[in-house]
Amino acid sequence: MTKKVLVVDDDPDVRSFVVTVLEENQYMPLVAQDGVEGLEMIEKHKPDLVILDVLMPRGSGIRLYRKLKTNENLEKIPIIMFTGIALRSFLKSQRALDEFKGGEVPKPDIYLEKPVEPEELAAAIKKKLG
Amino acid sequence: MSANKILIVDDEEIIVRLLSMSLRSDGYETVTAYSGEQGLEVFKAKSPDIVVTDIKMPGMDGLELLKKIKELDPEKEVIIVTGHGDIDSTITALQYGASDFINKPVRDEALAIALKRAKTKIAIRKKLEEYTENLEIKVAEATEEIRRKSNFQRLLIKSSNDAIVAFDHNWKVIVYNPEAVRMFGQAAKDVRNKMTIDELYTPDMAKIFKNQAQSEKDQTTFPWNEKIIKTKDERQIPVRYASDVLYEKGEFVGTVNFFQDLTEIKRLEKELVQSERLAAVGQTVSGLAHYVKNILIGLKGGSYVVDVGIAKDNTEKFKTGWKTIKRNIKRIGDLTQDLLTYSKQREPEFEPCNPNDIVGEAVELVKDTAVSNDILVLTEFDKTIGKVLADPQTIHRSLLNLVNNAIDACLEDEDTSKKHEVRIKTYKDKNKMICFEVKDNGCGMDKDTRKQLFDPMFSSKGGKGTGLGLLVTGKLIEEHNGVIKTETSLGNGSTFTIKLPCKKPN
Repeated sequence: MTKKVLVVDDDPDVRSFVVTVLEENQYMPLVAQDGVEGLEMIEKHKPDLVILDVLMPRGSGIRLYRKLKTNENLEKIPIIMFTGIALRSFLKSQRALDEFKGGEVPKPDIYLEKPVEPEELAAAIKKKLG
Repeated sequence: MSANKILIVDDEEIIVRLLSMSLRSDGYETVTAYSGEQGLEVFKAKSPDIVVTDIKMPGMDGLELLKKIKELDPEKEVIIVTGHGDIDSTITALQYGASDFINKPVRDEALAIALKRAKTKIAIRKKLEEYTENLEIKVAEATEEIRRKSNFQRLLIKSSNDAIVAFDHNWKVIVYNPEAVRMFGQAAKDVRNKMTIDELYTPDMAKIFKNQAQSEKDQTTFPWNEKIIKTKDERQIPVRYASDVLYEKGEFVGTVNFFQDLTEIKRLEKELVQSERLAAVGQTVSGLAHYVKNILIGLKGGSYVVDVGIAKDNTEKFKTGWKTIKRNIKRIGDLTQDLLTYSKQREPEFEPCNPNDIVGEAVELVKDTAVSNDILVLTEFDKTIGKVLADPQTIHRSLLNLVNNAIDACLEDEDTSKKHEVRIKTYKDKNKMICFEVKDNGCGMDKDTRKQLFDPMFSSKGGKGTGLGLLVTGKLIEEHNGVIKTETSLGNGSTFTIKLPCKKPN
């Protein structure tokens, strides 16, 4: 069965790029424009993988990532962070939230800093989904 | 030096000897003669300070001797010894300038008193001489000092960096220093003592200084002011000027004007603003790099999608990718324009235009984005504004920027239950300024964001903002002599108001 991959990114350019990569690699793309819509889509479609941007309006990727990782129904969904933000800055924000909210959220499985070649993205997706 | 040498003249030897002895014992130096002729010889030879002479002598008598001595040296003291009742001779002696009279027989006390008086006179005269001499020196010194001071003042006026122009009570130029020559461009010989204020200055300037002279007498000094003066040869010079109205004993005697050429200062000020701006662009580089990277991501992604579209002969893909590429080309174009606008000095180009139309066009450009994100865009234009003289580019770009920001603020808002809207309003305020208000009910700003709003490298939009938008807007508005105001409340939205002074076109 074709695996479902959700792209959460507010930039339409990024969405069309990732969607094309997914199609080219025989995955079924789903899209969401922001954190709030992303969570709705995840709960509704239960995707096999989420490709998540960090800086977005209405519930950033930082927030959505935490929501997924602290929800026992959703924490198993693999996530590829796909962003222009340096990993160091992302981890810093997560550590700050760890301290603030208590508990510790695991680091993302794969962290890709834009720009990324299509092959690189495809390889990362394959690594997670086979 | 006290007068100490006394010449005693008497034809009676005994009297001469007695007097001489008596005076010597009092500490005087004496010389003696026994006739008028001899007396004159001794006087010439020994130059005594005081002469005591008998009046009645054979040959040259006392009066004759007195006369001769006074001719030789009018300052010598001559004491005349007279007999009783010799009134006529006494009067003649007085006329000849005798200093004192003592009666015969000569008593020591009387002589002592007469001598003392004579000595005092000599002493006073000496002092007077000294004083006179001193006074002459002092006057000479003072004259020299005054000359030096006035010379110094003249030099001061001459070498002053300020242009100094003074007028007498008839408004004729009396001081016109070299800097004034440079500033007003008229030779000193044609101006000083020749021109009046109306001939040297333009009418508006002449009026300023004439009005000052007519104001209350208790104000004589008028503080520095700035003005752009126009010289007769049509040069425009930015100056600071000040003036003093001069009174002497309550009478108006003239006025002095000082001018400082601000051309260089103004140029440096402009240069400073420019270099600060360039420095700010430098600071923005890290933010810019991020933004440019985002454009690159878009272009790369777009070209990949286009490639796929071509390879698969998929027109839909091709179109999507091509749209991405075009959008990012536009972003580069906008960025370049923002950078140019921000880093370059630009004068607004005023032309008759209708602000409402320009705002309408700007709003039209962003409407699609707003609608696709479920944001309501409402406009409310004051129709009475009509055509005004303004720079359409300033209005267009500022409004486009503010409306884009307002839409972004709605998109950033985490409260999705809100019905988001952006209201754009134009109106005239009580000062006849044209106002453009852009109000959103989006996320609003916290204090820190609010504070950094117009800072160069600041963007609250992550990699999606250049940090140049409001900077450019602020600069455009400033160049248009307008103001921009911000009101914001975190979670409730922001209102930006631009006020521009606009003239009606002729």
